[in-house]
Amino acid sequence: MIENAISLMIAIPLLGAVVSFFAGTKAKFVALIASLIPLALSLQMYMEFDKTSKLMQFVESYDWVPSLGVKYTLGVDGIGFPLVLLSTIVTVLVIIYSWGETKKPNQYFALLLLNEVGVLGVFTSLDFFLFYIFWEIVLIPMFFLIGSWGGPRKDYAAVKFFIYTHVASLVMLLAIFALYFTYQTPEGTRTFDMLTLLAATADKTIFPTGLLNIIFAGLLLGFLVKMPAFPFHTWLPDAHVEAPTAGSVVLAALLLKMGGYGLFRVIMPMLPSVDKAFVTIIAIIAVISIVYGAFMALAQKDIKKLVAYSSVSHMGFVTLGAVAFTWMSVTGAMFQQFSHGIITCVLFMSAGTIQHVVGTRVIADLGGLADRMPKFAVIMMAGFMASLGLPGMSGFVAEFMVLTGSYPALPTYTMIVVFLSIVTTAAYHLWAMQKAMFGPILKKYMNVHEPHAYELFSMAMIIVLSLIFGLQPGLITDIMGTAATQIMEPVMTLTQMGVI
Amino acid sequence: MDFSHYAPLWGEALLTFLAVLIILLGSLMKNSGKLMGYLSAAGLVAALGLVASNLTIAKPAIFFFGSISVDALSQFFKVVFLIVSLLVVIASLSRYTGKGADEYYALLLFATVGMMVVSSSVDIVTLFVGFELASLSTYALAAFDRSRKNLEAAMKYFIFGSVASAFMLFGFSLLYGMAGSTHLVDIAAASLADFGPATLVALIFVIVGFAFKMALVPFHMWAPDTYEGAPPLVSALLAAGSKKMGFVAAFRVILIALVALRMEWYMAFAILATITMTLGNLAACWQNNVRRILAYSSIAQAGYIAIAFVVVGAAYGAAPVNVLNMGMLRADQLGIAGALLLILGHALMKTGAFIGTAQVSSMVSKGSETDPDDISNYAGLARRAPITAFCMLIFMFALAGIPPTAGYIGKFVLFSSAIYSGLVWLAVIAILNSALSLVYYLRIISYMYLKEPTGPKIAEQKGYVVALVLTLLAVVWIGVFPEAFINWAMQAAAVLLPQ
Repeated sequence: MIENAISLMIAIPLLGAVVSFFAGTKAKFVALIASLIPLALSLQMYMEFDKTSKLMQFVESYDWVPSLGVKYTLGVDGIGFPLVLLSTIVTVLVIIYSWGETKKPNQYFALLLLNEVGVLGVFTSLDFFLFYIFWEIVLIPMFFLIGSWGGPRKDYAAVKFFIYTHVASLVMLLAIFALYFTYQTPEGTRTFDMLTLLAATADKTIFPTGLLNIIFAGLLLGFLVKMPAFPFHTWLPDAHVEAPTAGSVVLAALLLKMGGYGLFRVIMPMLPSVDKAFVTIIAIIAVISIVYGAFMALAQKDIKKLVAYSSVSHMGFVTLGAVAFTWMSVTGAMFQQFSHGIITCVLFMSAGTIQHVVGTRVIADLGGLADRMPKFAVIMMAGFMASLGLPGMSGFVAEFMVLTGSYPALPTYTMIVVFLSIVTTAAYHLWAMQKAMFGPILKKYMNVHEPHAYELFSMAMIIVLSLIFGLQPGLITDIMGTAATQIMEPVMTLTQMGVI
Repeated sequence: MDFSHYAPLWGEALLTFLAVLIILLGSLMKNSGKLMGYLSAAGLVAALGLVASNLTIAKPAIFFFGSISVDALSQFFKVVFLIVSLLVVIASLSRYTGKGADEYYALLLFATVGMMVVSSSVDIVTLFVGFELASLSTYALAAFDRSRKNLEAAMKYFIFGSVASAFMLFGFSLLYGMAGSTHLVDIAAASLADFGPATLVALIFVIVGFAFKMALVPFHMWAPDTYEGAPPLVSALLAAGSKKMGFVAAFRVILIALVALRMEWYMAFAILATITMTLGNLAACWQNNVRRILAYSSIAQAGYIAIAFVVVGAAYGAAPVNVLNMGMLRADQLGIAGALLLILGHALMKTGAFIGTAQVSSMVSKGSETDPDDISNYAGLARRAPITAFCMLIFMFALAGIPPTAGYIGKFVLFSSAIYSGLVWLAVIAILNSALSLVYYLRIISYMYLKEPTGPKIAEQKGYVVALVLTLLAVVWIGVFPEAFINWAMQAAAVLLPQ
């Protein structure tokens, strides 16, 4: 393996962002190359990834600001690596999907690459300070993607997105500082090292339960807003409706996963040490997110808003699986992150394609589009089926694992989800599909035509991926399963692992 | 005569000589503005080199019968002042080239010398003389473009500045009366004795005088009006340079001379700091004039910096604790170091931001009747003046304290010191304030990047661009490689505290 593979993976899109900013109309080629290299690197890492090891892999660690205890530490394990893979795949496909972008393409592709830098950094940082920097960096490209390429209320949506998530991350920052200022290493120094701090939270003499509860609540808020979970989800529909298609895709497929990643990396190791009431609170939030998201989706007129609420619902499964804290549910929740990450791409791409081919996204104004765009209809249908949980596609496996895994731990909550959400989820997907794509074609849509080949290609690729992971979930759940086992155990620091 | 003994002061000497030379040359040669600008820039670079050659002085070098001390602290501030002046001069090369420019550069150099003298003063008379040299020069500079707005700004600045000086001088005279000496160390020794109410009166006068200069709420009213009305490049010098002079003077006088009274000023500064940062940030949210926004943001920053006084008051003489990752240190030293880092970072960011407004008001709104600094002129700036807009973007994020820029490092160290001295509430208020500040910085950013442009692309002037890019590099450099700066600030902070 190449030395410093993760740094390279982060540095190349960063360099690509700068180059494509100055590349004018050639930016898309630069962006494609700059996103393909990280994809190649992550595939190479996948080949070399030790699926049975609970250790951090590909670790790099350098001093950055020694006097503050800030280190530049990167590494992946079964929690982070699937999301790294997801990020590199989604970025490539989004860039291909956006091939025809004509409005300021240089900035557009630069921002997409910058976004990749941010999310890769979040999923690989093992130092809270570095983690927080990447966490904040992600806001910047998304702010501009919404604000510059968005719909009619873009300014409002962009600012709301920024303020909402920034305030949440600030609460998270306060909690991180509380960890930092409370814990002293045996040598008497301070550290931002994530694993060291998380391992220390188990020690009641350092972190009494009262203090830990407050820290925990702060971190939890930061992650739940990002996920987003009810009642912190209100920024999401606005952001999605106004964002350009690529922005929505990246937002739903990658940015929301940062919240889920935080649950597994930070929240889960602390869960056994905090007040047990938190389990109930998180479980309630998860169930409301799932059910409320599904019902809200059912009520939407705009197909993109429908997809946005379906994200709230699907991300609820991640929260539920995580808090149920059984091996099966945690593995399922991680797989749900990955699976939703790919499936949601095709949903948002469909909504975007309908918007620019037909000119509207209001479901009631659509009808019979399948007649004119059969290829698109097939792919979109497959995407919607994957999203509602058709067996054979990845979404089914993930949600099935979450539900079966959660039942022993949280039977009541699981049953509420089963009874209230599964039918609703199927209903809004099928209803939207039926209304928009099938039935007799409306007169005004007679000269509608198939979308561009590059759009179809990236959507088709996602369906293929969803099928592959639906039929062979072991490709990625093996890694996640090991991580789930490790989450159930006390956190090991990098030194204990012997990797640095 | 042998002058080599005075080597650490050659920077000041050089600039004084140069300022006089510029006035002489200016009266002989007509239209030599450009030349004067280059001469000043060269002089400032040379002075910076001279100061930098004595950057870390283990033992303070004392001159002129104990009234001037060249130590790590003075060198820190001199570097800040020289860099700010240099950036302003570079930007001015695109603005002040015609008739009268010689006076502009001469005044700017005199102001710089004044600030440098203040940063070295360990005697209240010397300090006052340096203070007035800098103030008088900047009063004239604030009215330099002779527009109505300039005159109003300069008048306000002058009146408030004079009142502040009067307060300060009266406080100093009481101190002299009690201590019988003008040296700070003698006053420190004397203030341990009890002089009854006179001590308290002196303290109040000194604090009020400095609070005017530092623009702490409720003594801040002049700052928004002056920063808005003065020529933009002069505003940069005022916000980034002359305001910081207020801080170094206050550090020396209050932390060295009046440390015995720390229980008295500790609470005063806790209240001042809290009100200042909160009110500054809140007021900035409602402004539509970008320079007023920057003015209120610099008031808020002064509030953060004032935390250092609270920390010193709370933690003075406390035993060293294991601080951050730096080993055994005292929290008060950490607090001052944090304030110094914030001063360094803020000086750079504010200079950059004001140079950005200078670019906009001189070019974007040319020929328009409206307020040149109105935020509507920033609409679509990203497309009209991409380099300026990008630099402003980074400065805004840096001012909000988003890493990795110079803005976060000072806040980090300073707020940590508050935590170590048991002032968790103050640290939390300060962090929440930082978050609040993002609202108005974001507003400027969203105008620059999200709004449709209101005019054609403009030619960005070379001087401004060079100054902006240099500032940008410095801001990012400090943020990415802060280690050396932290160590430097710690050394400078040690000067103010007994070993």
